[in-house]
Order: sequence, then structure tokens, then C-alpha cells
Amino acid sequence: MTLLRLASRNLLNNFRSYFLYFASMVFSVLIYFMFVSLKYDTTIQQQVSGSLKIGSAFNGASIVLIIFVAIFIWYSNSFFTRKRKKEVGMYSLLGVSKKQIGWMLFYENFMMGVLALAVGIIMGAFLSKFFVMLLMKVMGYEAIGHFVLSAPAVINTGIVFLILILLTSLHGYRLIYRFRLIELFQADQRGELAPRASLLLALLSLIMIGTGYGLSLQNYMESVIWRQLGFVMTPMLILVLVISGTYLLFNTLTVYLLGLMRSRKSYFWRGIHLVSISQLLYRIRGNAMILTVITVLSATTLTAGGMAYSLYYQNEKSILLSDPNSLMFLSGGDAADTKIERLIHESRGVDVRYHEKLSALEMTVDMSSIPSAITGSKQVFTVIPVSSYNQLADWQGNKEKLNLRGEEAVVLDAGYSQQFSPAYQGASLHLHAGKVTRNIHVIQLCPYNVLNSGIAGTVIVLPDEAFTILAAQTTPVPMQIYGLDGGRQEARQLADTLKQHLSESSHLSSQAEDYSAGMQVFGVLIFMSGFLGLVFLAATGSILYFKQLTEAHAEVDRYAVLLKIGVKRSEIRKSVYQQMLFIFGLPLIGGMAHCVVALTGIFRLMSANIAVPVTICMVVYGILYLVYYLFTGHQYYRIVTQSATH
Amino acid sequence: MTTMLKAVNIQKTYGSRGNLYPALNGIDLEIQKGEFIGVMGPSGAGKSTLLHVLSTIDSPSSGEIQIAGQQILSMNDSQLSDFRRESLGFIFQDYNLLDTLTVQENIALPLALSHVPAREIKQRVQQIASTFGIDDLLDKYPYQISGGQKQRAAASRAMVSQPELIFADEPTGALDSKSAANLLDNLALLNEQEQATIMMVTHDAFAASFCKRVLFIVDGCIAMELHRMDSKRQLFLQRILDVLASFGGDPQ
Ligand SMILES: Nc1ncnc2c1ncn2[C@@H]1O[C@H](COP(=O)(O)OP(=O)(O)OP(=O)(O)O)[C@@H](O)[C@H]1O
Ligand SMILES: [Mg+2]
Repeated sequence: MTLLRLASRNLLNNFRSYFLYFASMVFSVLIYFMFVSLKYDTTIQQQVSGSLKIGSAFNGASIVLIIFVAIFIWYSNSFFTRKRKKEVGMYSLLGVSKKQIGWMLFYENFMMGVLALAVGIIMGAFLSKFFVMLLMKVMGYEAIGHFVLSAPAVINTGIVFLILILLTSLHGYRLIYRFRLIELFQADQRGELAPRASLLLALLSLIMIGTGYGLSLQNYMESVIWRQLGFVMTPMLILVLVISGTYLLFNTLTVYLLGLMRSRKSYFWRGIHLVSISQLLYRIRGNAMILTVITVLSATTLTAGGMAYSLYYQNEKSILLSDPNSLMFLSGGDAADTKIERLIHESRGVDVRYHEKLSALEMTVDMSSIPSAITGSKQVFTVIPVSSYNQLADWQGNKEKLNLRGEEAVVLDAGYSQQFSPAYQGASLHLHAGKVTRNIHVIQLCPYNVLNSGIAGTVIVLPDEAFTILAAQTTPVPMQIYGLDGGRQEARQLADTLKQHLSESSHLSSQAEDYSAGMQVFGVLIFMSGFLGLVFLAATGSILYFKQLTEAHAEVDRYAVLLKIGVKRSEIRKSVYQQMLFIFGLPLIGGMAHCVVALTGIFRLMSANIAVPVTICMVVYGILYLVYYLFTGHQYYRIVTQSATH
Repeated sequence: MTTMLKAVNIQKTYGSRGNLYPALNGIDLEIQKGEFIGVMGPSGAGKSTLLHVLSTIDSPSSGEIQIAGQQILSMNDSQLSDFRRESLGFIFQDYNLLDTLTVQENIALPLALSHVPAREIKQRVQQIASTFGIDDLLDKYPYQISGGQKQRAAASRAMVSQPELIFADEPTGALDSKSAANLLDNLALLNEQEQATIMMVTHDAFAASFCKRVLFIVDGCIAMELHRMDSKRQLFLQRILDVLASFGGDPQ
């Protein structure tokens, strides 16, 4: 009876810490469940089944999420039990047996866990529906409208969390056996010895990270290790190396460096450094785990975000490259062309910026003089006169004007690859048309095109005189080319309308249509990384925030002493922000470094330029992170100075 | 003789409306430079409160305080900080050492904050630590040393910057008689040689007998004052004990 009353009174008194623990468990369940629901969602599975990349991204992300959730729960559990050590000690003093106390803690923990699991899943079911719809709407992606409570998601979440809850409950059960009574009472006041770091371990951490980086930057095709270990084990090895290296780094190298600073008295014994560095040194070990987690989460978020955004960004660029004109199709005779022209002019929200009727030649050319891996001995080219080229280049903008004479020619290839394409530059080719054969000399290669790739292949630009001579010998292919201004949505609708009036053989190529086709593929990716990114950012920011504020409450007395012996508030503020900068900065820098290496490795084969989108991603992440930093610094400062007088 | 500290009609009331508790009831006090003043009185009389108010750590409800010619109540935060750091030294009732710093760093803290060169800091810390007999504890952390050793470390920190005015709240509270005598000797020495002005709260008549003047505080007022003049310490101790007995308090 007394035990029960004691326990319930304690529950009321400790409501705050109970609530915090409960809330963090619910939060973990919530995000895990939401993610797993997505993974099992039928529409998404349909999308994913076609793409290996998206599928493995999902699997990788859910592993990271499990690790994240496990650490997050473990962390809040030990934080929670640490706060209750004194209470447990008191029961023991009152004569409750260890066994009883152990079981009490076990049940309490288990019940809370199961309750949190239920609440998390229920909330998750509602929230994910809302969240998904919102995000889909923002992206203009309509494929996924429904979102039902999925049984496999519930089962998956249930199993993962029951295991976690069981483990933490056992941890609680063992609490009373692990400590002597005196230790339970000194839970929060015992000072910790300033940590000593071995140089050896510090170096080892660098070596581990370095090896991981080296592996991920190797060429997959040529590397022996990649070949030996395969494409599943090698990334695993990299992950293990880099993550444990990061932990060691935070656990030893930071301690080592701070210790070095501490021993350099001329630096250390100057002003508020003394306080900042010793505080950091005192705290860093306890923070190493959490900093590692945050580094890994930041790296994951940044990599996923950077990758998705790069693809998205690339989509926009590659569409512009392959479809320089808004609309292009093969002419279906004058009557048909006029009808289409009228339709285009009448359509709303779209204005014609330019309209060109182009007659091009289709010629098969013997390529044996410049062999390459991707073309055969013969290749079909689209041949156009330089005057048409200059006209189109002018309308499309950003493309250089050409001036050709005699045998000179220029090749336009939007998909040009240094490695694989034929070596056009400087090559001599023969064009046959009827009885005429003309030698041309390619003086320049342009890695872009003025015609849409759906209709024209690689283009050869000839001087007008040469073109006329060849054209007289073959039947030119008449093409209709439009450049439109206006919304993408309207342009897509127009393309749909035109399709009904055009025959299959006119090969309509629409920039807007190709664009949205690309976007559908990247939609899932962007959505997923956006989801993970937001969750991880919120989680990492909050973990750091709460952890620091808890520490701030424990630091109040120390800062009160400092104020008493004449440290200025401005100096304390400076010191607090310095310490927070260290705590927030380390995982951000670590995460960014990991991300850059990972993305470089991933995009290396695609030889895509990802600097811009990744930089944008990092800047956005950094800014959001900065807000957390400033907010935490402000709160920390407020807490440690509020109780002091004057 | 110049006046070090002058307090006029100090009142300090704790609590809020409806539940007011006057801890200090109109205290007038003048301390000359180079004085060594003891403050005695029963528990709860307001000794610590007086010390806090005079030492700028707490503000009085009303009254005026001048230290070294400066009105401290009109100083702003930053001026107060500078002032505390440069002119005042504290030995608190609870030792108030920072447990993240070693003893050496704790003692060095005030000097570091005033940007004294590292080499000089080291020298001065070494010197004051050996005065207090804690030079072999310099690399330990506060939780690794005893209460009396902490108190000596706190005293070292208070004195290392050679402040003009030192406030001590029961500095010998946790010390055995030998260490207490040692600490008091050091305070007295500092007072004689460096002309440091010291104000010390104590329950211990023996400790008070090291002072040149002893104030007795009862219910927030100065009830009595004893001057040592040129008498021997033993004699002064007897007089203090007599006064304490007349208050009916416990001399120890
Ligand atoms: N922060 C406070 N709020 C309210 N009352 C206080 C506060 N600090 C002290 N008091 C009260 O003021 C009175 C004087 O306290 P003070 O600490 O000055 O006593 P003291 O003479 O130093 O006693 P001791 O010898 O036990 O240290 C006491 O009755 C105490 O209860
Ligand atoms: Mg007191």
C-alpha cells in the first residue's frame, strides 16, 4: 500500500520527466510507423518496383531509421532512469526488496512503452495521411491520394518496438542491481574526472574515417575491394568504418584537442576560455554518442536531400538540353499544319514566341573512320543549314552563332560523352545523296542541340550552299518547331490536345510532357528525402536542444559562482555561445563532410555536376540548423543567468 | 586612515507582500582601510545577508553603500563585474569551487579573467597555494579533496588577485583547529603586510579573536561592537566569549 502511494506520488512529482520520456517514445513510434507505412503503400510499391535505386534507397533509409529510433529511445530511457536513481535509492532505504523494485521498474517501463506504441501508431495513421497528402499536393504529384492503415506496417512497427521496449525495460530492471546505494544518491552530483584521450585512439579514428572515405571514392568498376566484397558488403563496411570512426573521433580526438588547448596555459588561462574549454571537456564524453548520432543523421539527411534535389535539378537541365524547343513534330501537310497552328494560337495561357518550319535531311553516314563504343559503323544524322541553325540558336538563346564555308561542318550532340561518343572534332566524313558525294570537315563539336532529341538525332550543320546541293538529291523532312511562353501545366494540356489531332507518325515532342514524366520518377525520391530530412532535422535539433538545456539546468550553480566572482554577463553569453557552437558545429561539419564524400561517390559514374544543388541543400540545412543553434544558445544563457541576482 | 567601506541605514527585507521578513534592520557601518573585522551573532541573525549586501552580490531594500569611494548601488552590471573582479575577494560559506576545474585552475580563474599573463598566473597561484599548504593538491579536482582543503582552495582563490577588500563567510567552518589557525594566520598576515581589508563572518570566538574589531549582530541590527586595541589575542578572546555569554548564545 505504502509502496503504491509512494509510486503514485512520485509519478505526479516527476510528471515532467515521465512526460518527456513518453513523448519521445511516441515520437519515435510515430515517425517509424509513418515511414514504414510509406514503404508498404501499394501505389508507392508499384512505382518502386521498376526502379532498383528507389527500392534500395527505401531499404537503406529504413535501416538508418531503425538505428536512429533505437538510439533515440535508449538515450531517452537512460536519461529518464538517471533522473530516477535517487527515487530508487529511497525505496531501497525504506526496505523494499531489490527484486520488488526491479519488477516495479520493469512493469512501469513496459507499460509506458506499450502505451506509447499504441498512441504512436494511432497518431501515425492520421498524421501520415495528412502529411502525405500535403506533400504530394505541394509537389503537384497526384499518383498517391489514398493512404490506409496497412497491416504489414503495423506488424513491422510492433515487432521493432516491442524488442526495443523489452530491452529498455530489462535495463530498468537491472538498475537497482547495478549500483550501490551511495551511487544512487549521488546520481547527479558526482563529479566526473576530466577525460584523458589516447593519441593512438584519436589517430585510429582518423584512419577509420579515411579508409571509409577512400573506399567510397574508389571507382566501383575497377576497385579490387568492391569486386571482392560486392555491392552490399562494401557499403556496409564503409558505414561501419565511418560511423564508428566518427564516434571515436568525438570520443577521443576532440578530448585530445581540447586537452591540448587546456595544457597550453597561455591560451587557456586567458579570460573566459578557461571556463568554455573546461566545460566542454567535462561534457564532451557524455555527448560523444549523441554527436555521432546527429552526425550520421545529418549526413543521411543531406545525402538523401542532395541526391534527390540533384536528380530534380538535373531533370530540369537535361530536359532543356534534350528538348530545346517547347514543341516539335513532323509536318503532316499544309492543311494539317495550319490547323495545328490555329489550335496553338487559340490555346489559353500559352503564347507563341517563335515558330519555324524547317526542312532537314536524314542521312546515313559511314563512321568507320571514327569508331566508338556506342555507335555502329553507320549512323543516321539530321542535317540542317547554318542559316536555320543560327535562327533557332538566336531564339533559344545562349547558343553560339556559327559561320561556315566550303567543307566546314559542325556537329550538335546533346548527349555527347567524352568517354563514349565518336571523336567528331576534326573528323572528315562523306555525305552521300543520290549521285552526289560531299566531303565535310567537322571543325567543331557542340554538346547541345537546337532540335528536340525525340525527333532529330545528332545534327550536322552545313553551309547553306552545301545543304542546297544535297537537298536537291533527296527528299527533305519538313519539321514544325514552336517556342512557347507560359505555364508548364498549360503547355502540357496543349500537348495532350495536339496529340488527338496529330498522327502517331508526327512524333510530337513536348518539353512540358517530358518534364513531368521525369518529375514523376523523382517525385517519390524527393518526397521520401523530404520526409526523412524534416524528421531527422526536427529530431536532431530537438535532441541537441533538450540535451543542452538539461545540462544548462545542471550548470546554474557554476555560472552563479562565476557571476559572483565578477564574470560579466556578456562574457558568460560569449562562453555559452562558444560551447554551443562547438556542440552544434561538430556534427554539422562531420555530416557535411560525410555527405560530400557519399555524393561524390554516388554521382561519379553519372558524371553529373551536382555542386549547385548540393550546395543549396547544405545551405538550407545549415540555416535551419543555425536557427536551432541560436535558439538553444539563447535559452541556455537565459537558464544559467536567470537565478543569479543583479 | 581612509574609509574603505561605508554603509548607511541598510535594510533588507525578504519575501513578498503579506509575508515580509526583515533580515537587516537599519545597519550603519564604516570600515577603514586595513581593518580586519569579525561579524558574529546567532544563526539567522542576518550575518550572511549583510555580507552579501555589502559585497554587491545582493542588493539591499534600502540604504547606501560606498566602497573605496564608489557608490556601488548606482553601478551597472558590467561595472559591478569589473569591480568585483578587481577589488573584491570572496570566501563563501559553501566553498563555491567549480568542479569542472582543477584546484589550480580554480585559483587561477580570477587572474585569467583579468587577462594576467599565464606565466605570472602560474607563479602567483603557486605562491598562494603554498601559503595555504595545498600546493600538492593543485592538480586535483574539488570532489577529490576534503572540505577543509576546499575551503583553503577557496581562500586562495579569493586572495590570489590581491583584492582591496575580502569578504569571508565562516571560512573556518569546516576546518580542524590547526588548519583553522593556519588559515586565520594567513588572513591576519595578509591584513598586516598587504593592508588588505577583511570582513569575516564567524560563529567561532577563536576565529573572531584574530580580528581587530568584532560586530555582534542580533535580529538584523548591530547590537554591540568590540575593539581589540592592543590587547593580546587571548585577552580579546575572553572578552568575546563574555559578550557571547551575555547574549545567552552558545560560544561555539
Ligand atoms: N533568500 C532568502 N529568502 C528569504 N529569507 C531569507 C533568504 N536568505 C535568508 N533569509 C532569512 O534571513 C534571515 C537571515 O539569514 P542569514 O543567512 O543572513 O543568517 P546568518 O546570520 O548568516 O545565519 P547562519 O549563521 O545560520 O549562517 C534568516 O532568518 C533567513 O531565514
Ligand atoms: Mg550564514
